[in-house]
Amino acid sequence: MKISSYMKGNFLLVFVTLLWLSANASGQPLVSIHMKNAEITQVLSTIEKESGYHFLFNSRLNGIHKVVDVDVDNADISQVLNNIFSGTGLQFKMLENKLIVVSSTEVAQDIQVTGKITNENNEPLSGVSVTLKGKTNGTTTDQNGNFSITTPENATLVISYVGYTTQELAVTATMNVKLTQSAKIMDQVVVVGYGTQRKLDITGATASVKGAELVKQPVTTATQALQGKMAGVQIITAGQPGALPVVRIRGVGTMLSGADPLYVVDGILTNDITNINTSDIVDLTVLKDASSEAIYGVRAANGVIIITTKQGVSGKIKVNYFGNFGVRSATNLVKMANSQQYIDYVQASLGPTVAPTGYSTDWFSSFLRNGFEQTHNISLSGGSENNKFLFSAGYVNDQGIVIDNSYKRWTFRLNDEYKINSIAKFGFNASYANAVTQSVNQAYNSTNGTQNQGVGSSFSDAYRASPTIPSKIGNRYGNTSVFQNVGNPILDIENNNNRNNDNRIQGTGYVEIKPLSWLTFRSALSGDLDVPDNRTYNYAFAADTTTFLTGGGNQSNSKSNLTIGNLKKFHWLWDNTLTFNKRIGKSNLTVLAGVVTEEANSNYNTSYRQSVPANPNLWYIPEGDPQTQQTGPQDQPTIAANIYNWTRLSYIGRVNYSYNDRYLLTATIRADGSSLFPPQNRWAYSPSIGVGWIVTKEDFMQNQKLFDMLKIKGSWGKVGNDNVPAGSFTNTLTPNLPYFFGGTASGGVAITQLKDQNLTWEQVEETDIGLEFSTLKQKLTGEINYYNKLNNNALINVVVPSTLGSQPSYVLTNAASIQNQGVEVSLRWSEPINSSFSYYVSGNITYNNNNVVGLNGGQPYIDGPVGANQPYVTKTDNGHPVGSFYVQKVLGVFQNQAEINAYTDKNGKILQSDAQPGDFKYEYTPDGKLDSVFAGSYQPKFYFGLSLGFTYKAFDFSIDFYGNVGNKIYNGKKALRQTALDNIEASTATDRWTQKNPTNSEPRANSGNLPASTYFVESGDFYRINNINLGYTLPPSVIQKLKVISSLRVFFTAQNPVTIQKYSGFSSELPGSPTSSGIELNPYPTTKTFAVGINLGL
Amino acid sequence: MDKMNSHMKISKYLLILLTLSMGCSKNFLDAPLQGQSTPQNDPNVATNLVTGAYSSLIYTDAGGPFGGFDTHGFAFISATNIMSDDADKGSFAGDQQSTAGQFDDFSYTSGNSFVNSVWSGHYAAISRVNNSINAIAVAPIDSATARRLRGEVLFIRAYYYFNLVRFFGGVPIVTVIPDGPQAANTNPAFVTRASAQDVYNTEIIPDLQYSIANCPLRGNTPAGRITKGAAQTLLAKVYMYLQNWQAVKDLTDSVMTEGYALAPDYRTLWRTVGDNNIESIFEIETGSYGNTDAGIPLYSECQGPRAFAGGWNNPGFNYPTGDLGWGFGTPSQTLINSYEPNDTIRKNATIIALNPDPNAPYGAILWDGFVIPSQSKVQNSTYNYKAYHSERNDNIEPYFGNRDRKEKNVHLLRFAEVLLMNAEAANELNMTGTAQADLNLVRSRAGLPNTVAGDQTSLRNAIWQERHVELALEHDRFFDLVRQGRAAQVMIAAGKNFTPGKNEILPIPGVQIALSGGKLTQNPGY
Repeated sequence: MKISSYMKGNFLLVFVTLLWLSANASGQPLVSIHMKNAEITQVLSTIEKESGYHFLFNSRLNGIHKVVDVDVDNADISQVLNNIFSGTGLQFKMLENKLIVVSSTEVAQDIQVTGKITNENNEPLSGVSVTLKGKTNGTTTDQNGNFSITTPENATLVISYVGYTTQELAVTATMNVKLTQSAKIMDQVVVVGYGTQRKLDITGATASVKGAELVKQPVTTATQALQGKMAGVQIITAGQPGALPVVRIRGVGTMLSGADPLYVVDGILTNDITNINTSDIVDLTVLKDASSEAIYGVRAANGVIIITTKQGVSGKIKVNYFGNFGVRSATNLVKMANSQQYIDYVQASLGPTVAPTGYSTDWFSSFLRNGFEQTHNISLSGGSENNKFLFSAGYVNDQGIVIDNSYKRWTFRLNDEYKINSIAKFGFNASYANAVTQSVNQAYNSTNGTQNQGVGSSFSDAYRASPTIPSKIGNRYGNTSVFQNVGNPILDIENNNNRNNDNRIQGTGYVEIKPLSWLTFRSALSGDLDVPDNRTYNYAFAADTTTFLTGGGNQSNSKSNLTIGNLKKFHWLWDNTLTFNKRIGKSNLTVLAGVVTEEANSNYNTSYRQSVPANPNLWYIPEGDPQTQQTGPQDQPTIAANIYNWTRLSYIGRVNYSYNDRYLLTATIRADGSSLFPPQNRWAYSPSIGVGWIVTKEDFMQNQKLFDMLKIKGSWGKVGNDNVPAGSFTNTLTPNLPYFFGGTASGGVAITQLKDQNLTWEQVEETDIGLEFSTLKQKLTGEINYYNKLNNNALINVVVPSTLGSQPSYVLTNAASIQNQGVEVSLRWSEPINSSFSYYVSGNITYNNNNVVGLNGGQPYIDGPVGANQPYVTKTDNGHPVGSFYVQKVLGVFQNQAEINAYTDKNGKILQSDAQPGDFKYEYTPDGKLDSVFAGSYQPKFYFGLSLGFTYKAFDFSIDFYGNVGNKIYNGKKALRQTALDNIEASTATDRWTQKNPTNSEPRANSGNLPASTYFVESGDFYRINNINLGYTLPPSVIQKLKVISSLRVFFTAQNPVTIQKYSGFSSELPGSPTSSGIELNPYPTTKTFAVGINLGL
Repeated sequence: MDKMNSHMKISKYLLILLTLSMGCSKNFLDAPLQGQSTPQNDPNVATNLVTGAYSSLIYTDAGGPFGGFDTHGFAFISATNIMSDDADKGSFAGDQQSTAGQFDDFSYTSGNSFVNSVWSGHYAAISRVNNSINAIAVAPIDSATARRLRGEVLFIRAYYYFNLVRFFGGVPIVTVIPDGPQAANTNPAFVTRASAQDVYNTEIIPDLQYSIANCPLRGNTPAGRITKGAAQTLLAKVYMYLQNWQAVKDLTDSVMTEGYALAPDYRTLWRTVGDNNIESIFEIETGSYGNTDAGIPLYSECQGPRAFAGGWNNPGFNYPTGDLGWGFGTPSQTLINSYEPNDTIRKNATIIALNPDPNAPYGAILWDGFVIPSQSKVQNSTYNYKAYHSERNDNIEPYFGNRDRKEKNVHLLRFAEVLLMNAEAANELNMTGTAQADLNLVRSRAGLPNTVAGDQTSLRNAIWQERHVELALEHDRFFDLVRQGRAAQVMIAAGKNFTPGKNEILPIPGVQIALSGGKLTQNPGY
């Protein structure tokens, strides 16, 4: 006890000493006063005399005449004042010039404060919220950033603006404040439909990524760089240069090929963003749930991707150059059998005897190559207070990994904004893109009238062609056709020249008028003109020894032919919105109301002639034989699909309401009227409501240290999908069906395809519950969402029984309900260790369960044709994911005749009496019918991404991973083996069943034509390093010395350098329509890229 | 206040603008369909649909994910000629084994895509007929024309159902247009098989009776249009399958009075010069359309002589190099053996037989002078001559170079068959003399002596034999054998893997059963 009292005294001593030191440190003069029963006013005048300080007070202040005792030596003034004011309700404030203001704590004096709020570039910020701390009253800045507010003189002002760090400042008469952009994620502004919102206030599920992140990857289309970056967003890579990757947001909600999200580029609604230069993008936001999507109504069921392009910044003109140069190659190739393996296999399969030729051709390597890729971008931006501009030019040249393939794109952009007067501004975003694609022998897909996203017949020919045939020697080709009726794949490519030249002009002009600080009117008129033309030339060649090493066979083209297709698409859109934004008390209310009108039309002309000279300069229609037909019959579906006109009229409304900055409400409704549906189904409504609670704003959370931010949110809404072709409900006449009466031709017509006269929207109803948090001093942030999406009346191309007479047998109708339920988790840890080192780890994982819950009329949908023997391999049925593989089940391999004889039905009949040892044993039902089973689908159960990165001094490094688990792939190319002379994969040759190799998983050598079975269904799991990026940024000290440049970063990047896949084929990523995806027939292989680049600012 | 006023003013203008943009034209959402005509905007829709229904005879879409749509293309050839003992699969071993090949050896299953092509092609064509019937009913045309057009397309529908019932047995009778894709679920007619008897009695026979009553006689309508004679002939044939011999006799008797006759030269029947000749009753018309050939896709090509390794190269001849086609449906040894020794005219007009001598300078010289090189360069030793169409550059037969769609008319009903039907009916009705006289007309055109058959059984066999060779490779042989009740016997004798009680009819396509939700029933044994 003694010790403790000693300690106590010691502690007191230290404390007093500290106080003394601090008093002295304050620099105030010390006073000694000894007064008894004196009024406070008297004490103050004594202090005035001793210290030279002056007091300002109102003698009518309550308590100023209180009688006090003062007995101090060498005390500082504050200490004295605190003593005598204690219990009086008085307070004081020391101002400059030795002035001390005395006021009442109860009724503070009001003063008029005026000021101006600007951003880092000294540009005025309008609409900035200026409020008194702890109070509800406040104001916002006007168009010029000015504000004026009456406040108690001792008040603190809270100055906040979305996207900027909130500042709290003691009032002064004049306050000019510069806000800085917030680094905190929760303060960031997120782009939402027709406006922006603070991320903290969002009740829906959105994710966004900055343009700077996107350009780090050497990809041509921005969405490609999203792979693994966002929970709930699945990207399926397209290997073909210039192709649009497939994006699936929260599972496949529809069975239509229109399962793609809506893209909104600076307000322009589109389904193709291959014209957008990634370097021009400042922000890419994905809207994932109905609450955020509903503002886009019936376009939004598959999610919305909003792309915002960069705007100029007033001030000194900034010049930026960005470029990279790299080389691409296939990530994975399948090893085919060599000549000896092939000859042995064909022999063993009892096929024709094949004599060795001395050749052993690897067909894939004969037409695949390392392709070079380069990207260059230059941008200029700047302007004055009244005019800001950004100009950029970009060039991409991507050769692709197949011979003769290339993609070249020029892009130009000019984004300008003008301030007309204090309340109005005008601006435009304009872009032009020219893309020239040299395609490789694209196969025409008669099912949906589109070009396959693949390498066409060359790929399957290379897979099938015998290795005993030489590929090409000198100018002459190996004749695979005469040997086995398969085209020479190199000739497939080289006899065909398919060039697509796309010119696209896209632009928005807008006027924004803000007559009152709380009211904004915006009118934006957008246009999107897309004019691609396609020129396909097929050279003439005969099956003779001029072309081939040996003559004969079916691969020949007796007359050259030229097809020219000219497409012209125009889409205009006019948005008119009124936004009301006002803070009333603790309530913050934003109301948006608007009208959107749209019209799109497309016109297509095609012409065809034979016998056009081989000189590319003469590839024009008049050079051909005028006696040849003008259009090929195969053009009909293409023509029909490319000629359309549709209109849409929409009304939008949204209320964002927050109370006390912690209770959030978003309510949206959009009404869409569309010409794409019959009059009785023309209008659709998309309502949604979202609520949020920022728990950490509550008083009871103020003392906890765990969460910096915690938000709970939930939403419900309905959105639609109207992604159907124009004329989907109208019976049409197929023209030019000839017949001959009396020797004279007549062109007949027919209603060939059945139409659903009652076609309507598909409507997705979605419920969402989410949690967002930031903890450990914002080092760890995260978001967890659960969603339940139910697509009612899903639109689907149903295959109907042929008795209905529809040709093709696909009929578009509303026929199913599909459910997607899932959980998304995103976490990010970032920590600045010190000024020279910081790192982050960020990851996300999505679980999705796709399920067909209601089929209209119970008719299952079959799709996924693989060949004559396998007319369909997928079946979409209740209780299974869309597009599930439905095939015979392989139970194993018959090892001997006894096993075959023992495999009987319940009546003892041998089930596979034709089988031989080494053949597959298939599952049968007990009554002896061949059985088919559901064998999984291409839709993954989980997909995830992981990013790690650090910056150390001038170096930055990042590595991204992506994985996809729980899906299946159908090895269609293997299943399509048509004849005994088709080549096989090396593993098929070496692993096949023989008496000496009694495997249970591979059959004996066979001549192909196996039925669709689980043998061809493989795991689709894959894991990949998406991107590795290593950069070096020139330190500021060096930059300052150099003077001419303002920034410089050089980097090395590797895209898809490592892929680990379970699938034995070329690519685990197989873009396709929902009911037939995941079937590998002739894909363009996924590529990996190694590139170096530079980013230079002047 | 001034400022306030001006703000109010601006707001007022904004409101007006907003209202304007909302108020667009009332019809803004009625965007008319572009680039595709509709039944509403085609003033001649009924007659054009009728032409489209005729066009289904030559329309064949060989591809497609579920095996395509075939009325008279490769799948039809497989399911008629190749399936019979007249023709082998042809081409080379393994080629199209899983499609055409399975017909040749009766290993087809319900999964064979050609089976589905035949089924789907016929129903797609029937749908064209049904659409045209609906359009005729409301078309602004005179009633006589309407009845004639209706008679023409009903003939076509009856012909298709006749094929279907012969291929598959009982099939769904579809005479209406579905109101949407859900019709498969709501209208059982689309997925329920009627009995074969019902197909004959409620569909085929009434349709043909209407045609007989409303179609003009030969000569009163352009060649190619359905005539009364065609309808009578087809109905006679239908009754022959139903063994209603009196009806066969009556109908064929009537046709024999309508100006038809045998063409003098059997060899010209399947050449362009023989198109729509005096013997022709119903043939599929082809021609050129839009500066290209418009025939049945693949009909001639898939049966054309096929090169072997090394191809053809005929320097000195102004003919194509490479080859002429795919070599399917090659005439069988059984067919060759079935001709009487002196029946060379018909045999040589039906079968291109290559010189078997490997040292011969050429394999065959065809009627137009075209030289097929020696056997060492050609895949098969026989080809179907009736499917051959000249490609000579001097256009001995019309040819624009579209080998896929050569202008080859397919002769489905001709007067020789009327005579043979009349003979068969007469024989069954014990009118031996009439039967012999009919038969001898056919034989004498072929340069053969009168028949020696006298009693009913031997005469029946003689008539059947005559049908076999006279109509060889004209797509009827297999159906005849089934009708005659001797398919199993003949097929097994020809070495085919034929299962009696099963292979007389094809399986219902498995895809179609799946699409019907299991409501379509399968044929026995499949």
